[in-house]
Amino acid sequence: MKNVRVARRYAQALMAIAGERNVVDEVARDLEAIGKLLLASRDLRALVASPVIREGKKKAVFRELWDTRVDRATMAFLLLLAHKQREHLIAEVVEEYQALRDERQGILDAEVRSAVPLSAAQERELRTRLARSTGKNVRVRASVDPALRGGLVVRIGDTVVDASVRRQLERLRELLREDVTNTHA
Amino acid sequence: MTEVRPEEVSAILRRQLAGFEKEADIYDVGTVLQVGDGVARIYGLSKAVMSELIEFPHGVFGMVLNLEEDNVGCILFGESREIKEGDTVKRTGRVASLPVGESMLGRVINPLGQPVDGRGPIGSGQMMPVERKALGVIQRQPVKEPLQTGIKAVDAMIPIGRGQRELIIGDRQTGKTAIALDTIINQRTTQTEKARREGIKPVYCIYVAIGQKSSTVAQVVDTLQQEGAMEYTTVIAATATDPAPMQYIAPYAGATLGEYFRDSGRHALVVYDDLTKQAQAYRQVSLLLRRPPGREAYPGDVFYLHSRLLERASKLSDELGGGSLTALPVIETQAGDVSAYIPTNVISITDGQIYLEPNLFNSGIRPGINVGISVSRVGGHAQIKAMKKIAGRLRLDLAQYRELEAFAKFGSDLDKATLATLRRGARLVELLKQGQYVPMPVEKQVVSIFAGTNGYLDEIPVEHVERFEREFLEMMELKHADMLQAIAEAKDLTDDLVNVLKTILRQFTDSFKSAVGA
Repeated sequence: MKNVRVARRYAQALMAIAGERNVVDEVARDLEAIGKLLLASRDLRALVASPVIREGKKKAVFRELWDTRVDRATMAFLLLLAHKQREHLIAEVVEEYQALRDERQGILDAEVRSAVPLSAAQERELRTRLARSTGKNVRVRASVDPALRGGLVVRIGDTVVDASVRRQLERLRELLREDVTNTHA
Repeated sequence: MTEVRPEEVSAILRRQLAGFEKEADIYDVGTVLQVGDGVARIYGLSKAVMSELIEFPHGVFGMVLNLEEDNVGCILFGESREIKEGDTVKRTGRVASLPVGESMLGRVINPLGQPVDGRGPIGSGQMMPVERKALGVIQRQPVKEPLQTGIKAVDAMIPIGRGQRELIIGDRQTGKTAIALDTIINQRTTQTEKARREGIKPVYCIYVAIGQKSSTVAQVVDTLQQEGAMEYTTVIAATATDPAPMQYIAPYAGATLGEYFRDSGRHALVVYDDLTKQAQAYRQVSLLLRRPPGREAYPGDVFYLHSRLLERASKLSDELGGGSLTALPVIETQAGDVSAYIPTNVISITDGQIYLEPNLFNSGIRPGINVGISVSRVGGHAQIKAMKKIAGRLRLDLAQYRELEAFAKFGSDLDKATLATLRRGARLVELLKQGQYVPMPVEKQVVSIFAGTNGYLDEIPVEHVERFEREFLEMMELKHADMLQAIAEAKDLTDDLVNVLKTILRQFTDSFKSAVGA
């Protein structure tokens, strides 16, 4: 939990700089690429996580990898992380930065699970409906979950809109059970 | 269980299905980060409010106690073993509450209002939150009606009024619970037709058992049942086996149930047995939630824990129906140490205390009340006139007796006045002894104490005082029931009554003396 809190602080600082210099999207792209590379390369992950490798070495590796490819702000940020020995937080910072950018640009992440795959038209319809009800742009991440039996479940942040057949059945069961206990009371 | 007919099932199903619309269910969720020892930390639930109920898997409920930057601290009211890290939890949108109503009377429930006596569900619709704000100044009035405990020593010298908060404090095994139970049992008299004629309103009782052994609670329920007191009593049990969060909220649940009676213009009595255990349970959950420990490792708000509970005891103004909620909190001390943290706190909050001492108890003075340091700060206004008239004298006589008692142990050369004081005191102490589960109606207390303070016992040997009282009251009941009735109705000892009583006593004392050969 603590890590998330620290990562959020760093992400906020980076966002502030990027905002001033008008490179929010560039930095986002850089961070996304860095995140991907981290996922792909085991060696890089090991380097970042290792407390044994000295600060100078890490900085040199970062420079060689990204110096010419990323924005100045991103590079400076990576070096700062290395300097403060927080480089193991990169993955979390990337995540937090994306969240902050979404918030800044009024984008909401909606996680949609459905029993059968949604057609493109259905997904578009869902997106416009969700955008209308939330007043923000909605990015839909769809997945299929046959256990729902039918219908779909949308999760935006902490709020869940459950219109699945599974939930309906659960509610029906609760209702019936309540009724039986009440009749025998 | 009655047989369910097939057609009945179909009818129920049809009715249910007819009202069952396919609509989306909207709820807020969070994820369990950490769980154990009756508390859980949850990520998400960003809209959760303080003391809201949270639904965990396996039908376990929790209550929000900590709202932090990125997580929510919860206490669990059920088995935490089945809950795992990463489980999804739901907000319920309602704060911790329990059902209230008359149907709760005669039942044993847990602090969430669920029955634990195995007698089926309780049909009650109204829900009230467990934590409620105490009433303000405008809604209250001073206590004025007596709450008779049926215990001579208490009703005479430490009177309790309806709406008062009187602490019962003492070491273990000194009869704290006995006083509370006797008081509950004595409320039986307020439910009768006779009480109604005398203008005494019934008192509904709630006994909150916190952190006690289940067997002790079962015993209490059994006693109340045998004495016919369960009809107007609810027992709220959070036993030692229940999770600490249950023990922490139990007194508030009791207060809520009591407030239901108070707010509908009736009178209620709540016994919190005992608040030491509740403070310990609260200390446990506070430390687990990583709140900083203070004195005796209690959290900083342990005073507020008890003050907000006891402030809920009140006497409502007449515009609001004049109902009342009397609180009898119990505190257990260690080796008579009333200057420990929790005892001093609760002493300062309440309107007086009944102090029980083990050496009195062990020397046969039962109830073992130390009348010297026990006080009732507001109950005097609620005492009936008859009792007020004779109790002043009783207090004085006993105080003088205590002063001379130690002194008298040294020498035998005492002057006449000292001897008389000692003689009187020893008999009054004897007179105030009373068995358990035998509460005495106030009119009998009055005549019996009248006999003591007016010197009719001075000639009787100390060992015969108990017999004197018993036979005297039997005789009063047989031959002078009208006199007892008159005291009960007028609630006063008029000069005429005093004169008659004196004549009766003179005759009775003479015949008693010759009977025992004194």
